[in-house]
Amino acid sequence: MSWIPFKIGQPKKQIVSKTVERDFEREYDKLQKLEDQTKKLHKDMKKSTEADLAMSKAAVKISADLLSNPLCEQDQAFLDSMTALDTAMRRMDSFNQEKVNQIQKTVIDPLKKYSGVFPSLNMAVKRREQALQDYKRLQSKAEKYEEKEKTGPVMVKLHQAREELRPVREDFEAKNKQLLDEMPKFYYSRIDYFQPSFEALIRAQVVYFTEMYNIFSELTDQIDQAGLTDEQRERETEAKLSELRALSIVADD
Amino acid sequence: MSRRAFVSRERETSIGRRLRPHWSAQRFMKRPSRPIGRVSATSPSPTGCCSQSAYSAVCVCVYVCVCMYVCVCVCVCVCGHPFPPPPLFFPNWPPLLSTPPPPPPPLPPGSHTHFYTVFLSHTHTREYALTHSCRMRPSSSSSSSSSSPLCVCESVEKVTPVCVCVCVCVCVCVNAADFYFSRDGAQQDRQREREREREREVHHSWIQDSAQAFSDMEVPRRPRPSSCMLALQQAAAKDPRSSALREENDHDEGDPFGEETFGGDEELDGSLDGSVETSELAGMNATLSSRGSCSEESSTSAEEEAAEAKKKREEEEAAAKERAAQRQMLAIEELVHSERNYLRLLRLSSGTIRNNLQKLQPPPADLDSVFLDIEDVIDVSSRLLGLLDQKLVQPGDPRFLETLCESFLGLSSDIEAAYKEYLANYNQVTVVENSYKQKEALWNDVVRVIKTSAPEVNATSLSFFLVMPVQRIARYPLLLQTIQKHTEKTHPAYALLERTAHTSIALNYRINEYKRFREVADKYKKTETLTIKDKIYRLNTHSIAKKTARFGQHIRHETGMAPKLVDEEFDALEGFFYVLEHGILELLENVETYLYHLQGFLSCRTEEFDLDMDGEKAPICYKEITTALRQWILPTFEKRMRTLIRKPLGALRDLLVGPRNLIRKRLDKLLDYELIEAKSNLSYEEQDVANTYRTMNTLLLNELPQFTGVALQMIWSVLGTFSCLHRDLAADMEQLFQSFAQQLPHSSMERGAFREWAESAVLEGARRLETLCRSVEHTLNGPVVQPLSPSSRRRLKQLTDKHGSGKIYQVVGSVVGSRDLDLNLARGELVAIISEADTRGDKRRWLVDAGGPRGYAPSSKLIRYHQPTEDPPPSPQLTLPDGVTETRRHSYTPESQPMTVMSQPCFQVLAAYDFTATGNHEVSVRAGEPVRVLEPRDKRGNPEWSLVEARGGARGYVPSNYLAIAPRPPHH
Repeated sequence: MSWIPFKIGQPKKQIVSKTVERDFEREYDKLQKLEDQTKKLHKDMKKSTEADLAMSKAAVKISADLLSNPLCEQDQAFLDSMTALDTAMRRMDSFNQEKVNQIQKTVIDPLKKYSGVFPSLNMAVKRREQALQDYKRLQSKAEKYEEKEKTGPVMVKLHQAREELRPVREDFEAKNKQLLDEMPKFYYSRIDYFQPSFEALIRAQVVYFTEMYNIFSELTDQIDQAGLTDEQRERETEAKLSELRALSIVADD
Repeated sequence: MSRRAFVSRERETSIGRRLRPHWSAQRFMKRPSRPIGRVSATSPSPTGCCSQSAYSAVCVCVYVCVCMYVCVCVCVCVCGHPFPPPPLFFPNWPPLLSTPPPPPPPLPPGSHTHFYTVFLSHTHTREYALTHSCRMRPSSSSSSSSSSPLCVCESVEKVTPVCVCVCVCVCVCVNAADFYFSRDGAQQDRQREREREREREVHHSWIQDSAQAFSDMEVPRRPRPSSCMLALQQAAAKDPRSSALREENDHDEGDPFGEETFGGDEELDGSLDGSVETSELAGMNATLSSRGSCSEESSTSAEEEAAEAKKKREEEEAAAKERAAQRQMLAIEELVHSERNYLRLLRLSSGTIRNNLQKLQPPPADLDSVFLDIEDVIDVSSRLLGLLDQKLVQPGDPRFLETLCESFLGLSSDIEAAYKEYLANYNQVTVVENSYKQKEALWNDVVRVIKTSAPEVNATSLSFFLVMPVQRIARYPLLLQTIQKHTEKTHPAYALLERTAHTSIALNYRINEYKRFREVADKYKKTETLTIKDKIYRLNTHSIAKKTARFGQHIRHETGMAPKLVDEEFDALEGFFYVLEHGILELLENVETYLYHLQGFLSCRTEEFDLDMDGEKAPICYKEITTALRQWILPTFEKRMRTLIRKPLGALRDLLVGPRNLIRKRLDKLLDYELIEAKSNLSYEEQDVANTYRTMNTLLLNELPQFTGVALQMIWSVLGTFSCLHRDLAADMEQLFQSFAQQLPHSSMERGAFREWAESAVLEGARRLETLCRSVEHTLNGPVVQPLSPSSRRRLKQLTDKHGSGKIYQVVGSVVGSRDLDLNLARGELVAIISEADTRGDKRRWLVDAGGPRGYAPSSKLIRYHQPTEDPPPSPQLTLPDGVTETRRHSYTPESQPMTVMSQPCFQVLAAYDFTATGNHEVSVRAGEPVRVLEPRDKRGNPEWSLVEARGGARGYVPSNYLAIAPRPPHH
């Protein structure tokens, strides 16, 4: 260790070239971003699937509760409507379940697997970093002996240090090369990997919504007056409400 | 003055002009022929019965004097105001005094006439004022006012002073002659006296009737008869003459006070009364004169007299007919005319006054609620008038009556609807007005606005206008009955008229009932939000007694001690209502859950993470789909859900409160009612309780079915909408997805085939990923192998020999002993464990052998040292991780990440690198080639070389560090 103050701030001898370091950083950044996105996508996909399922369950509950309400016993037509509604809801729910299963299998699981790779990659990078640190440490040790007078014991120690350094350097270089090689490969693998997922995601929804359209068209024909605009519906509702409000027993405030 | 008002005045006067000569002539002729002998009310004095001619002469003189005095008075009054008085308005005051009491509507026992209550309370002040103005009039003018208020006005406008003078003079002369020359006056007088007696009786009975009627109309809380009534009674008691006159007036159907100007214009009154009195007097005198002449002639010839009488009777009959027609016409005209005025004032109030009030700064609160229902009333009133005007029939036309009745009947339901609401909400209006009155500045402004907006009427409050519909609707029956009374039964429209009159009465009755129901409902349907403090504050003996009684009754029910009063119809309705309520609440809750999850779904922004896959079709499609979905389709869907489903349901839920409260309150009232039901005679309060219960029960029975019916329809339509919304959503989504799905590379594939493809592709991807992952792990995570220093190697050998390989540990950090028997150890030193605790059983201090010195070392600084080739395994074995995550140098513990992709824990040895044999004993392997390790060392025990069997059975040595242990790929 030099005690000369001017030397303190001086950079040590560059072990790894700047370009290599920069390339490595860039690739690693990309990977980190990818990891982040994969994780978030995975999380959101899971969340939205859960919300989707919950929505479907809530819809089923709407009809099931109505059907189990004694209200239906009073009026056959009402009961029929509710039964139709309930059937539709249950069918929708099973289709939804199927869709969700499909998405789970083709989208969410692969996402999970993919994000499972990142820890080992990160570990590898960490290893490389460690190797680099070792390499640097031993390198500086060897250099220290080199700078000293070439006396006998020093020569022995230098030799020893060099002996120690050699496998470490090799190790680092191997790791560095490997990572620089693997990281882009891994990064590009995402395209082939996720392509089918996205396609399957879209296809699953196409199927689902086609079924949904069929079911609800049928149901709407059965229980809804066709061809009313939203305004008409609102007006009708408003008319009914004011009819109710006009009753003396209703407190309108 | 507005143009319209002017025109109406013009018309009024022209009508008057047309009528005038007719009318006055009629008066002169008709007086004597009244069915109830209206004997000379104007006879000079009681001495008229005396037969002495001298006395008669004196009387005549006195009479002349009196008449002259009256004449002069009238002249002064009239000449003092030679111009016609300002136009008179007929503010539709309810007929309080002189109309015969209306037939009381068939109210149920005990029900109050709420509506009349309102009506009376508002007219009370007015009534009082009128009485006062009566008193202030000179002499008994008020009692001698003419038959109809309309006539009064006409007289006022028409009779000129000259006319009056002439009339009076003529009368006086004729009377004087009559008295002077009459010989059988005494006899006649006696007869008259008898008639007068009879009349008085009749009059008294009527007075009692009308008093009774009025007190019926009064609320019980106000037992004091109206001051007018008192005045009337006093007058009746004191002065039979004036009461006779009054009766005359009453029978003539006018209501002098009701129709008089409310301004109480003294001058106007003066002239009015004067002229009226004069004409009245003239009428009397004419009677006398005709009688006088008659008696004169009777002395000459009896036959002539008989013929005369017959002729007279005929004339009288004709005249009576004509007069009845006149009165009928006048009554009709009054109805139409007052309706016009009424409408005009209403329009004035809802138009000008309202606008001006709105301009106030700050505008009065709740102004809209004050004028809320008045528009309907105006509308229906203008429609009524419009119908009358449309027919182009003059009021004089006999068909006019028919038109009137038809119009009224045709509009009766609309009238009922409009007035019903108005009257039901009238209390609210007065409350608002009172709230204005609380604020003095505001109220002054309001009064100012009213006065400036309507200067021609002397209105000082909003309720002046707003009470009008209340009075008007009660007036219809009276007006119609008046018309009916003056219509002969043979009139073509008589039946229709009768029906109309009945309709109007029924109308009033229904409105009254409605108002009563509304009041009961309003009282109980609101949920009171009281704090506990308020509730305690409100506790009093009465309420506690009531509650205890109810509770007791309830207990008796529950224990079966008292039979329950069961109304099955109601119970069914109640049950249905609760079921419905439950359904609505549940539905609403579920819809809200649905919307909540929908929002959760919307909050997932999966489109933002596209994994930088810009160039690929599927991710781009997905991104666009999701963006459209989240920004357009689903928000629209959600909005529609909220407005078309959530909102109506919420509103419906809010409406459930009223019926629920009423049902609960009905139970309370039922318990009260049961307690008193058995009693034979009920006190007033008990009557009230019973009525409240009956009203509530009836109300609920009537309206609950409507409520549940409409609510059920609403649920139905909401569910229809729900389905429709889903269909629309599905249509949008399908279109969106379909359009993008066609752009995908595998769009042509069948559904099943695509699924298979997708699944296999995903699996393939996973496999590739695994491989990659493995290679990363095994090439990069391999530990850095460093040869041990010779001294360490020696130490290792020594310790291994002594303790066995399982006990060798390595020091991970420098240890500086601080206690007795502690060892100082350097980092990386190898030790052997003798005991895993110190003598006192402290597991944290281990007794170790450091290759000579023995002592304690902290267990946390020690880690097991794995010797690479200590016990050569028959086949390569994975060194299990011992829970240490940090990788250690100088250790063979491989960092083994738990592989999520591993399907089976089966391992194999692979060649990690290419190795080319350099001698006979060696074997060449390719990187990744699986090998079988036969011996992990060479012949001399050097572990750096391993004897392996490569593919194809070739055996030989390879460097040990060229080999790697890997999990076996899953079998396919």
